[in-house]
Amino acid sequence: MIRDHASIDELLAIRALDGLDEADAALLERELAAHGDCEECRRLEAQHAEVAGMLALALDPRPVREDMADRILAEAQAPGAAAATPDELAGRRSARVGRWQAAFGVAAAVALVLAFVLATRPDAGPPVPGSVIVPFQGAGPGEVALAYTPGEPGALVWATGLPDPGAGNVYELWMFEDGDPIRATCLAPIGGAVAASIDTDLSSAQLMAVTVETSECPSAPTTDPLYTAELDSVAQ
Amino acid sequence: MRSAEPADARDEDLLVRVGAGDEHAFRELFGRYAAVAHALAFRSVRQAQLAEEIVQEAFLAVWRTPDRYDAARGSVRSWLMGTVHHRAVDAVRREQAQRRRAEQASGLGPGIVEDPVDDVLAAIDLPRERRLVRAALGELPEEQRDVIRRMYFDGLSQSQIAERTGLPLGTVKSRTLLAMRRLRAHLGEGPR
Repeated sequence: MIRDHASIDELLAIRALDGLDEADAALLERELAAHGDCEECRRLEAQHAEVAGMLALALDPRPVREDMADRILAEAQAPGAAAATPDELAGRRSARVGRWQAAFGVAAAVALVLAFVLATRPDAGPPVPGSVIVPFQGAGPGEVALAYTPGEPGALVWATGLPDPGAGNVYELWMFEDGDPIRATCLAPIGGAVAASIDTDLSSAQLMAVTVETSECPSAPTTDPLYTAELDSVAQ
Repeated sequence: MRSAEPADARDEDLLVRVGAGDEHAFRELFGRYAAVAHALAFRSVRQAQLAEEIVQEAFLAVWRTPDRYDAARGSVRSWLMGTVHHRAVDAVRREQAQRRRAEQASGLGPGIVEDPVDDVLAAIDLPRERRLVRAALGELPEEQRDVIRRMYFDGLSQSQIAERTGLPLGTVKSRTLLAMRRLRAHLGEGPR
């Protein structure tokens, strides 16, 4: 019996790239089920999966922490850990991030208030022991600053007196690692003022920059920086 | 359980040993693919800590459930990268949903300026595998490469791409298939 694989081929290609919408994912499952034990289906699936897997090789490898393998094996052998499924792990990750963000939100609010106080007291120290306040430099009006604790993830960014970025635009904060821009967050000021917490680890960043971007918050800057701050030069 | 294995052991053999609790085999597999997996996760989520967690969870799943690998569906490498990519895309889309709910004026943007294909000319000193894959991407027509870039490297779904490019969904689908076929033809069996 000859079956048409055109639709399945297309859907399998998109699934291999994790690009299927739910409706098409369900359609693919129905099509595969209708084909039953289909050798051609398996061949197409394997081919697309292989190509997709190879695409990752185009990227420059990014070293992981030396002890990551140790930590994985330790976690796997921890009492009570054996039952964890990948979905449960993802849930735990979300919960961790959520708890951290909630905790940081309180700290950030405190830091924000103190930071504005500091703005009128230039000789005072940072609001949180061990933290660093980094003022941005720029030709534009307004002031932008960042507070973070070296060695710990997360930071607070705030700005005052920013000009309107224009209809459909926002400000976007970037961190640069070895010259590569990494999106930190988008900032939509109200009345020229804005504050936001970010969970990005700044430990490997050398430079922070703010650009004006469309409200879609592109993944790489498309305009020249208006404000910049060198993290390496911060001496605390 | 521990045992020695040659550095050129096949991935499939290493995975079998992982299933038997062989930590050396796991470390060998980890050493082969962790940095690439990390690059893939980081490219999608753009957050160092989150990318590390994704890699860690993916390899933890490898250690715990190596029997999920089905040789009939491709190589160990493609399975591993698929596992990492799937988790990274989940994270990206979760972030998008959170942003929408928070009514922030944000979302994942259209294409990424940074592009492995941009480095084709500089690839002469790169390892053979990376050179091959970048060359294959460079051979694609721009419109097909753009779909691959958005879908695989940026983690966008087919409908998100259609929405952001203004292309009909059917065009996005057909370009994806054509691109995958061209890549397969260029890469052949590929580096294993």
